[in-house]
Amino acid sequence: MKQAFSKTLVFGAVALAATLSVGVAVAAPKVGAPAPDFSVVDTAGETWSLGGLAGKTIILEWTNHDCPYVVKHYASGNMQAVQKEATDAGYVWLSVISSASGKQGHVSPAKADDLTDDRGAAPTAVLLDTSGAMGRAYDAKTTPHMYIIDPAGTLVYMGGIDDKPTTDQADIAAASNYVRLAMADLAAGNPIATPVTRPYGCSVKY
Amino acid sequence: MAGMYTEPSSDFLRRRSAFRGVFRAGFALCVLLLVWSSAVPANPVTTENVTARLVAERIEVAPGETLDLALVFEIRPGWHTYWRNPGDSGDPPRIEWTLPDGVEAGPLRWPRPELIPVGPLTNYGYSERAVHLIALSVPADWPIGEPVRIRADVDWLVCEEHCIPESGRFDLTLATAAGAGEAVGPAPIDPAQAEVFAAARAELPRGRIEGAVLGAAGTGLGLVIPADGLPQEIDGVWFFAGEWGLIEHAAQQSWRLVDGQLRIDLSPGALADQAAPDGLLVVADMRGEVRSYEIAAVRGSLPGTIPPDRPIGLPLAFVFALLGGLILNLMPCVFPILAMKALSLIHSLSGQGPEAARERVLHGLAYTAGVLLFFAGLAALLLALRAGGAAVGWGFQLQYPPFVAFMAYVFFVIGLSLSGAITIGARLMSLGGTGTGSGTAGAFGTGALAALVAAPCTAPFMGAALGYAVTLSWPLALAIMLTLGFGLALPFLVLSLVPRLARLLPKPGAWMETLKQALAFPMFAAAAWLVWVLSVQTGSGGVALVLGGLVLSAFGLWLRERTRSLPSARRRLGVAATSAALIGALYLGVTTDRLTAPVPSPGDESGSGLASEPYSPERLAAARAERRPVFVNMTAAWCITCLVNERVALSASDVARTFSDAGVLYLKGDWTNRDPAITAYLAEHGRNGVPLYVFYPPDGDPQVLPQILTEDLVRRAIRTSTQGSPGRDG
Repeated sequence: MKQAFSKTLVFGAVALAATLSVGVAVAAPKVGAPAPDFSVVDTAGETWSLGGLAGKTIILEWTNHDCPYVVKHYASGNMQAVQKEATDAGYVWLSVISSASGKQGHVSPAKADDLTDDRGAAPTAVLLDTSGAMGRAYDAKTTPHMYIIDPAGTLVYMGGIDDKPTTDQADIAAASNYVRLAMADLAAGNPIATPVTRPYGCSVKY
Repeated sequence: MAGMYTEPSSDFLRRRSAFRGVFRAGFALCVLLLVWSSAVPANPVTTENVTARLVAERIEVAPGETLDLALVFEIRPGWHTYWRNPGDSGDPPRIEWTLPDGVEAGPLRWPRPELIPVGPLTNYGYSERAVHLIALSVPADWPIGEPVRIRADVDWLVCEEHCIPESGRFDLTLATAAGAGEAVGPAPIDPAQAEVFAAARAELPRGRIEGAVLGAAGTGLGLVIPADGLPQEIDGVWFFAGEWGLIEHAAQQSWRLVDGQLRIDLSPGALADQAAPDGLLVVADMRGEVRSYEIAAVRGSLPGTIPPDRPIGLPLAFVFALLGGLILNLMPCVFPILAMKALSLIHSLSGQGPEAARERVLHGLAYTAGVLLFFAGLAALLLALRAGGAAVGWGFQLQYPPFVAFMAYVFFVIGLSLSGAITIGARLMSLGGTGTGSGTAGAFGTGALAALVAAPCTAPFMGAALGYAVTLSWPLALAIMLTLGFGLALPFLVLSLVPRLARLLPKPGAWMETLKQALAFPMFAAAAWLVWVLSVQTGSGGVALVLGGLVLSAFGLWLRERTRSLPSARRRLGVAATSAALIGALYLGVTTDRLTAPVPSPGDESGSGLASEPYSPERLAAARAERRPVFVNMTAAWCITCLVNERVALSASDVARTFSDAGVLYLKGDWTNRDPAITAYLAEHGRNGVPLYVFYPPDGDPQVLPQILTEDLVRRAIRTSTQGSPGRDG
């Protein structure tokens, strides 16, 4: 009776919280804050979500195989090398394709798998975010655009793959790879020295 | 990388008449195709998307002189190259020189960019044509007659929606002439290039404006720029950040002129506190002329944002919060709940002895705990939202239509129970009765309920206290919100702790049932009002959904009532049907979120005799610039105080006459739905909620009026400040 009334109140509070969480999703992601949740299928049809990866360190890589900046890092083998280092160290590496249907970089699951094989890439999975919901939640702007999420679900890095915003493969050797530096900081138990950098590349084709 | 260098396309052939030196270009392209290398110099270089050339302004150069070169991109329609900060994506052109000893080239200069939206992103760049000027200096000891041979390797990115990196090698040979004595002057200008250089210079910044300040403004950034160097009649401005991370490139910017300063509100970018606070200000005047200025701001606190904050200190904020909470008890939506509590207290007074006394105290404390817990939850949510960067203020929950719908249901159901149609209310009434455990839980629930229904009634003192609270560290902010809650709980707490006071209340009797039923009507009124709020937020679609929801919930609760005393199997069926009806009603409420606000028709002013214009920072700035007095009213359909003020103080014909006599422009900002421009304006005045009334006299500082207006107060404010003002003479 009174219990029933309290239950109504609890339900009301939940409804209120749910309503307001819609507003929270709109805000841009922030380093040091919980990473936005996502629920996206990979090329095998399996659904990946942030909740399902609790306890893992996650690297997100926004990609579009036809973007010249992405080509720079794959044709040189740079991206594949970082992927292998990360997955060997126990990271979950998710390559995310947010290109809308009909836009550059949009691929079928089979084509995405072929790209992974052909390029010798080593992501844990390739997510097909055709609706762009995950990309918008993370405010992903460019390909590549990199994010690192710690085991507690906190966003710890967002920005570029390195500090040389060109399409020239020759620039890779002298570049500081921010993802590699962040992985070294995490391995040493240090806070990440440069947690936010300018992402460079092509626009994400929402 | 296929596509970097492309064969002459049909597109190129179509456009050949447009370009000078087409045969040279064609020849260069053939060579390019044969060798497939960027090492072959050509000038111009033609790719699929761009024709680029490097030209000199003068035919010849004298030793010791500096002359301008131009790197010209003729860009395919729909494609773009980029500014020094390209915005969300893209990349600016880069140039690498091979120069003879002693010859020096300056940096690329950047003409004014335009905003280029790409889906949800925004870039800074160029369409059609981009001309970058470069200063080239030749040393004084250069031998006369010896040509200067220079080479530039240029990389550029050109994008439509997708991007293609291109590059070219440009060779340029400059003849040298006899020394440029004072009598001779510089070498003649190449007439073929004069137009290109003149047009390029017109697009360059008109210089640098000193003394700009960038600082925090509410949850965003504010940039204040001295306006003396700017055009007189400003029609529009835009700030292009000089580097990535300072601002959100795609976000709206609002601006206004205040006291000889241009103020622009910006959304902070991902590196807002580290990126260099400079960039380019682009200003369009009323005649359509567009100029740009380099801005190098210093970080600091903004003038105008701090003073309104100062008058209310920490102790005063606590006092206001407590007062605000006390006043909440008198609000039409809270009063019935408090009255019900008082009634139950009267009941309980019939019980004598220490047992009953202890129970009363327990109820008082439980009620207080309920209020405080709800306020703590609301405060935590508000602070979390702000920390997450959402532009919200007090009353924010009412900016979400589903919450308004939910509150309409709550008031309606409470109304039903008070009127005796359903029996939830009877239990609520018996909270003060026997049965300690559940009675205490009930009192706790009533406290939370009182806090929930108080939310729409933003009391006058709350705005200032909460506006102050959100600027504090979170423990202090929480403390202020809890003080507010404590104020709300205080009257009942005092009644239950001091039985002597409670004995002053009238004796129980049949009048109590009459009062209880009468109190249902303020509740129905509140529900009706919320449905009206929803009609403002979502149009008639939302009203239909919620009215449907109200019918469903009434039906569900009636079912529950009818099946209550049936055998358990059928009772369970009744409960299931009731739950289904209530869930259906809530679902209808939630779907109001998908509806959008109807576009208000201009001049749609129901209820107020004053003609108003919708608030925009631009309109305010324009009126201020022409020294017209302005009255700003920030309001919301869900803000009772606002509506009362409008009815009492702003709709009288006397006030309307005062407004028109003084030539006052009445600007009304509607915060019923979320509006970052209004949130920013409120924050600037140290507020976090509506109402806010600001009067701008033709000269002098704006005046913030109290949150409770009277006709007299408004008239006096306008009369005193406009009398004898030189702006009104003649």
